[in-house]
Amino acid sequence: MNAGSSKVRGWAALVSTHAVLVPAAVLVGAPFVWLVCAALKRNEDFFTSTFLPGGDGFLGVEWGRVTFEHFGRLLFELGLGRAMLNSIFLSSTTAVLATVISAMGGYALAKFEFRGRKLAQGIVLAAIIIPPPLLIAPGFQWLFQLGLLDSFAGLILPAIAPAFGVYLFRQAALSSVPGTLIEAARLDGCGEGRIFFGIALPLMRPMIGAFILLTFLGTWNNFISPQVVMQSPGKFPLAVAIAQLKSTYYQDYGLLMAGTLVSVVPLMMLFLVLQKEFIAGLTSGAVKG
Amino acid sequence: MATPRRAAWGFLAPFFVLFALFTVYPLARAAVLAVQQTYGPGTERFVGLDNFKALAADPLFWKAVRNTTVYTTTTVLIQLPLSLLFAMMLNRPGLRGRAFYRLVFFSPALVGVVFVGMIFGVIFEKRTGLLNQFLHAVIGWDLDFPWMQNYVMPSLVIATLWQYMGYNMIYFLAALQNVPRELTEASEIDGAGPVRRFVSVTWPSIRPVATFVILLSVIGSFQLFELPWVLLNSAAGPDNRGLTVVMYLYQRGFETGDLGYASAIGWMLGMLLVVCAVVQRRLSRGEESV
Amino acid sequence: MSASDTAKSGRSSAGEAGVPAGALLVVLMAVVSTVAVLAWPARTAPGRTMWTSARLHYQLYEPIVAEWNQTREPRVNMTLMSLEALERRLLSGFLSGTGCADLLETERRVAARAFTGPLESVGFVDLTDRLKSEGLYEQINAASFSPWTSRGRIFGLPHDVHPVMLGYRADLVEAAGIDVSQIETWDDFVRLMLPLMAERDGDGKPKRYILNLWETQGETIEALILQAGGTFFDEQGRPTLASARNAATIAQIVAWTNGPNRIAAEARDFSASGNRLKLEGYVIASVMPDWMCNIWKNEIPQLKGKVKLMPMPAWEKGGRRTSVWGGTMLGISKTAPDFEELWAFAKNLYLSPEMARALYREGDIVTPVKSLWNDPIYDEPDAYFSGQAKGRMYIDLAPSVPLRASSPYNSIAILAVQDAVVALGIYARQSGKFTVAELEPEALAALAPAQKRLEQLLDRNVFLRESAANDGGTGLSRLAGATEAGVTK
Repeated sequence: MNAGSSKVRGWAALVSTHAVLVPAAVLVGAPFVWLVCAALKRNEDFFTSTFLPGGDGFLGVEWGRVTFEHFGRLLFELGLGRAMLNSIFLSSTTAVLATVISAMGGYALAKFEFRGRKLAQGIVLAAIIIPPPLLIAPGFQWLFQLGLLDSFAGLILPAIAPAFGVYLFRQAALSSVPGTLIEAARLDGCGEGRIFFGIALPLMRPMIGAFILLTFLGTWNNFISPQVVMQSPGKFPLAVAIAQLKSTYYQDYGLLMAGTLVSVVPLMMLFLVLQKEFIAGLTSGAVKG
Repeated sequence: MATPRRAAWGFLAPFFVLFALFTVYPLARAAVLAVQQTYGPGTERFVGLDNFKALAADPLFWKAVRNTTVYTTTTVLIQLPLSLLFAMMLNRPGLRGRAFYRLVFFSPALVGVVFVGMIFGVIFEKRTGLLNQFLHAVIGWDLDFPWMQNYVMPSLVIATLWQYMGYNMIYFLAALQNVPRELTEASEIDGAGPVRRFVSVTWPSIRPVATFVILLSVIGSFQLFELPWVLLNSAAGPDNRGLTVVMYLYQRGFETGDLGYASAIGWMLGMLLVVCAVVQRRLSRGEESV
Repeated sequence: MSASDTAKSGRSSAGEAGVPAGALLVVLMAVVSTVAVLAWPARTAPGRTMWTSARLHYQLYEPIVAEWNQTREPRVNMTLMSLEALERRLLSGFLSGTGCADLLETERRVAARAFTGPLESVGFVDLTDRLKSEGLYEQINAASFSPWTSRGRIFGLPHDVHPVMLGYRADLVEAAGIDVSQIETWDDFVRLMLPLMAERDGDGKPKRYILNLWETQGETIEALILQAGGTFFDEQGRPTLASARNAATIAQIVAWTNGPNRIAAEARDFSASGNRLKLEGYVIASVMPDWMCNIWKNEIPQLKGKVKLMPMPAWEKGGRRTSVWGGTMLGISKTAPDFEELWAFAKNLYLSPEMARALYREGDIVTPVKSLWNDPIYDEPDAYFSGQAKGRMYIDLAPSVPLRASSPYNSIAILAVQDAVVALGIYARQSGKFTVAELEPEALAALAPAQKRLEQLLDRNVFLRESAANDGGTGLSRLAGATEAGVTK
């Protein structure tokens, strides 16, 4: 086995890997390309061409028929700007609050000895399994009794105590925050709060990034509970607005696709920024089981 | 030590207060509902275990359970090995464009269910749909192939595959990157082929992640509702081929207003999932002795 | 490693102390958006609310609502939302007693949900007595009340009649020399139109089919069943799915959609791909209620001047030549204050001659107010339908329009019948039996489980059993004869 043939073998392996990855990436990415093209096409062209309207222009595309009219309609006629703001508000506040609360809870479950700890852990684990639709109807009635219908609080408050989050942060605390460190800090005279914010939280940093992204993502795309809780059109988040578009403007595919594109792009950008933390966070949470 | 214990409860308090308010109380209400028949306020009748008895005898419920189970097993058995495979490919040292591939494969998980439903509605359409047109042109496939009418489950599995393959792949990628380098290299030097390497070095390392991912996928798959709902236009498909347990819950609760029955379905689902979780725990505890 | 070493390595491996950059970004977004949302609050306008799910209606009502808001009290704010959202909110509101909008314009499926419980708990106001005392009951087409009537009480103002005709590609039909006036029954229809299916495509399949019908088009199937004289529920609300007549109808539907002599194919309504198929002439004739004409005009403008309408071919000589499809009503919520004002608003919106004309001109919908039927607008030639006076054609069919059930289980019944059709289709393909005579027995067998399931559902409903009149149907005969008040609010 000489260096040359193993190099060739390595090169061949790489090429064959790419040979699988490239078509797979094309297949997975094709719907997105289709989405962008559909958002830029006029409705008459929707069925005459799969991607962009064909013609005599550059790359065989009739560039003159590319249009931004759908985006204009979305913004000015249909008030999607407001919906976007609502979504950003709901998703970011929910993500931040849920992360803080889950981090505190998970840290406590992982690092403290106290009576009832086993019970608390059991409750958290069991809660992960509760199917959300079970709670829609009683939840709605309860929100009404609390006076929280048609308010952002009515959507945010139920969402910022996720059992799954506590579970993840417990894993993160168990694997990333050594008990010896905490002991040492206590002996040094640090208060519990300082220990949490100054030592534990930075060590759980990857999980913070991951969980913030996960919660943001989940809240952004959620449309069933906002649709039930929110009554005034001015408070709808983007997901509800788009879902409504689908019903009332089902024929207007260009409009629907433009709306979908508008709701996807911010997420993509966020993911690009948080990619590394996301993966590191998943590692710390999941790998240690 | 008094202070840490008080601090522990202090840290847990925000979670438990909100949890009690917005999860436990509605859950208790749902439990009460499950033993009632109700059609609105002030019209409640205690019916004991009637709802559960009717559920046990309800062929549609069992059809939903069958559909959901088939969907879950197919998805897990197809999607997870595929995610692992792609993660291993992306983990190859010296692979260029890893970040690009990661982004492309993960992106479908970013879009909402409404979009997935919309686009796969267009893809699976008879005659004018992208898939049939493509297959017809390439291998003479039947242009009228009724994906969303006769092959609902396969359509759903494909759509879910597109949506979540990359998501699970990231989990596996993270896990693979934690496999100790020395071990893989050592086994390579020992002359072990790729399969042997996988079985004796890689798999034991990533097993915890794999069990975690499997459990997540099973729980998530059993709760499938929005995707078939959007894809099949707020219906369960011909002959209820696309009926899932949560969809049945929603239909019973919101289409006939029988919240009691719907709550009973919810409880059955919850118990089913508990069983799954317990089984998974047993299985993984068996190996944790390593 | 000592504690401090671990601490140092821990901190350094986490980068700078604190929170990752991306997370900070999200925090920033949270702060900024909170400020924005607080500074720019979504206005909830004062006044009464009205919900509707039909874009066409919203547009039609806007000028009338605006005029009302200028001159009368209270102010009414109209909101357009998707049918699903409206249904979800209506149910959440009614089921939890929290109320929803004050005025609700809903279509059949959603409105019927309100009738599932005891009569006293129906969320809409009982309008029966007002309609009778104000003489409105006689002015409005009686059949139009049926979907909104439960146990003899009327809970909404009807919006329409919705007679049904058959729309066909006149250009293709006349080019082939076919004379549609010869068509009286469905057998005539198939016989005369068959030559249009001669052309084959590259795969050897017919390029055209003569009827737009498929096993999963539940609403079209419902229209055909009702035309044939079948019913889904009787007046007491008991299911009547498994009747000989319904069996014959679905056997015919399956015969049309399956086998070597298949004459029907799917060109779905409300779908861009279905519209494309209609444009291509993939299907020659489609079942068309009056409102469907408007959908075609908006979505397939290219067919202008190429389509015509004809009364539906009857199931037997001399039989009914129309059916019914769809329906909308306006209801007033029990939780709404100012009933008198809202009642005045509702009447103004639904029953005025201006609205009737606008409804037909913009929406092709025929008003249910009989006294307005002599308006010349219905005799105007319609350019899209090759100059036919389709308004008059629809009105002439109004007396034969079948009744619609108001049962909350109606949509489940339609799905159950659809399932029976699908099952029958599977049987047909497996056994090779494609004629009506061969399929009828099996059709009855396919409908039986559907009926049984509905009976079980109904029997489980303790409220319908306990109900004052001991049934859950429309109770129309009681309505027609009733003079004294029924259940109090």
